[in-house]
Amino acid sequence: MYGWIWRHLPGNAWVRSVIALLLVLAVVYALFQYVFPWAEPLLPFGDVTVDGASAGGAGAGQ
Amino acid sequence: MAARTEHDERTDASTPPAPRPGNRHPIATAVSVFGELLITAGLVLALFVAYSLWWTNVLADREADKQGDTVRSKWADGPGALDTKDGIGFLHVPAMKNGEVLVKKGTDPKTLNNGIAGYYTDPVPSALPWDDEGNFTLAAHRDGHGAKFHNIDKLKNGDAVVFETKDTWYVYKVYKSLPETSKFNVDVIQPVPEESGAEKPGRYITLTTCTPVYTSKYRYIVWGELERTEKVDKDRTKPVELL
Repeated sequence: MYGWIWRHLPGNAWVRSVIALLLVLAVVYALFQYVFPWAEPLLPFGDVTVDGASAGGAGAGQ
Repeated sequence: MAARTEHDERTDASTPPAPRPGNRHPIATAVSVFGELLITAGLVLALFVAYSLWWTNVLADREADKQGDTVRSKWADGPGALDTKDGIGFLHVPAMKNGEVLVKKGTDPKTLNNGIAGYYTDPVPSALPWDDEGNFTLAAHRDGHGAKFHNIDKLKNGDAVVFETKDTWYVYKVYKSLPETSKFNVDVIQPVPEESGAEKPGRYITLTTCTPVYTSKYRYIVWGELERTEKVDKDRTKPVELL
């Protein structure tokens, strides 16, 4: 997979390294900016309130 | 990856008939891709931990400072009539060593994720400190998003919890902690929190957050009772508990 990407990047090893680094940064940015904020409420790590609702409502009403 | 590819290219150059990765056995390719996906998943999870425990704190502290400054600047003309528009005041808990925490209405994640504490509106509405009696119930994050109640376990009986509004310091003393309870235990935030041993109506404060750290399997509760109030003077001199 990564080998495939590497072979399809243009330029010599230096140019490829720079492009690969930019790709990695773009992916990390997308994760921090969009993917993690979306995923976080779905995971049970940040509920801090007591809530009388059923299990289904615990996330919504926290 | 880079090393391997260079190696591939080198073998290509010196021994042309050597199989290129594209000509590998399909199973070998599948195993290789699967392995790379596993490595990727591991890296993404590690990044998620960094996001949760570090980046959300950076964002939340920035936002909390901003919102706190807004309130402070509105209060700059000295003590006066209650002003709750951008937040009702600041919570100071010396034992938690986390400075001041802005308190706003509501405990929905959007509010709490700004690195502030929220007072309950649901399922049991909180009383406010200036009410004659009732329970001032607060929630904040234990980890991430400012982690304002991270050190809640450092609170011992007798520790001060001070709430600052525009014109009054409310000094509470902790009298009971509950290190672990179910998240469905709504009784802890009742106006008279009988679970803490309280029997008659009074002016209570309740802090709730999640426990153990890094998860939210249970809730950690700390109760305090109002000991005294002090008027804010024009220099906003802090009560002795905060000096």
